[in-house]
Amino acid sequence: MSSPSSPRSPEDELTQSEAERYDRQLRIAGFGRGSQLKLKRAKVAVVGAGGLGSAVLLYLAAAGVGRIKVVDDGVVELSNLNRQILYTTEDIGRPKPEAASRRLRELNPEIEIEPLQEKLTDENAEDLLKDVDLAIDCLDNFETRFILNRACVSNSKPLVHGAVYGLEGRLMTIIPRRSPCLACLIPRKPKEAAVVPVLGSLAGLVGALEALEAVKLLAGLGSSTAGRLLVIDGYDLSFYWIDVRRDPSCPICGEKWWIEER
Amino acid sequence: MRTIVKTFATLREAFGGRGVLYLDLPDGSTIKDLLKALRGCGSVDELDDLVEGRSSVKVLVNGREITYLAGLETRLRDGDVVAFIPPVAGG
Ligand SMILES: [Zn+2]
Repeated sequence: MSSPSSPRSPEDELTQSEAERYDRQLRIAGFGRGSQLKLKRAKVAVVGAGGLGSAVLLYLAAAGVGRIKVVDDGVVELSNLNRQILYTTEDIGRPKPEAASRRLRELNPEIEIEPLQEKLTDENAEDLLKDVDLAIDCLDNFETRFILNRACVSNSKPLVHGAVYGLEGRLMTIIPRRSPCLACLIPRKPKEAAVVPVLGSLAGLVGALEALEAVKLLAGLGSSTAGRLLVIDGYDLSFYWIDVRRDPSCPICGEKWWIEER
Repeated sequence: MRTIVKTFATLREAFGGRGVLYLDLPDGSTIKDLLKALRGCGSVDELDDLVEGRSSVKVLVNGREITYLAGLETRLRDGDVVAFIPPVAGG
């Protein structure tokens, strides 16, 4: 949804105000105008607009990702505000995608935000993903994560997975059919917790890393965490990298879907 | 010999919120023996799944995942740090 006051500027050049807004990142070695234009032309789905989503959305909007879908079926609650830094106390009771869009448009009126007040399901997933370059997992439960994983694999959309618990975080990027998927990483679905403990700064940390992964994938920079799970232990601030192998018998991305690199 | 066990997330909670446990095990013990000893500290479904072979809990010995070592038969040495890392789903 384009805001009426700011018609979109051409996709193959940066306006003067864009050049100024993104000045500090345009100076990053290996980034430059070409990368910025890739971000400008990109479309992403941020699935979940809670603690992880707050950081992801703020950083992607600030970085100039051109079109961002905000998918969440919740409303802002008081108990969200320890970690969901996108919202204010005034937003309590408002649908999250709507409150998020308002805040993000204030931050960056030069991009398009598409608020989608819905829960991701097997039925709507394909529709939500068909026109995006990648999806970012900012969900708060296993079940919907597995729906997102399945949809990303079957629609060949890269997925940046992040999750938090207490003072801990997890991060892994999934490139469908080329790297292990969420079901390879988590072969046995764990029990869902009714309420998950989370410190806001951990959600911010993991969300910031997810935004970094997304920007790199979109702009074609660096290497991703595909096939490598990052485990963050905030108690003593230790970081563990775990190599994750694809599961040939994975029901989601198993053998029959695998294409060998040549 | 002494084994240092680091527990994460729900497993940390299952073992009383302490992130680190110290267990004295007979020399030559394996991960499987450690799991048996941990059972004595409280029954945890996720650890039982490990014994059965299909689990979502990552087990690291001194930072290396046991699937790259000898799996559940990986032998422990005095002072080894074993981490049990379950998946999490908060956001
Ligand atoms: Zn898989």
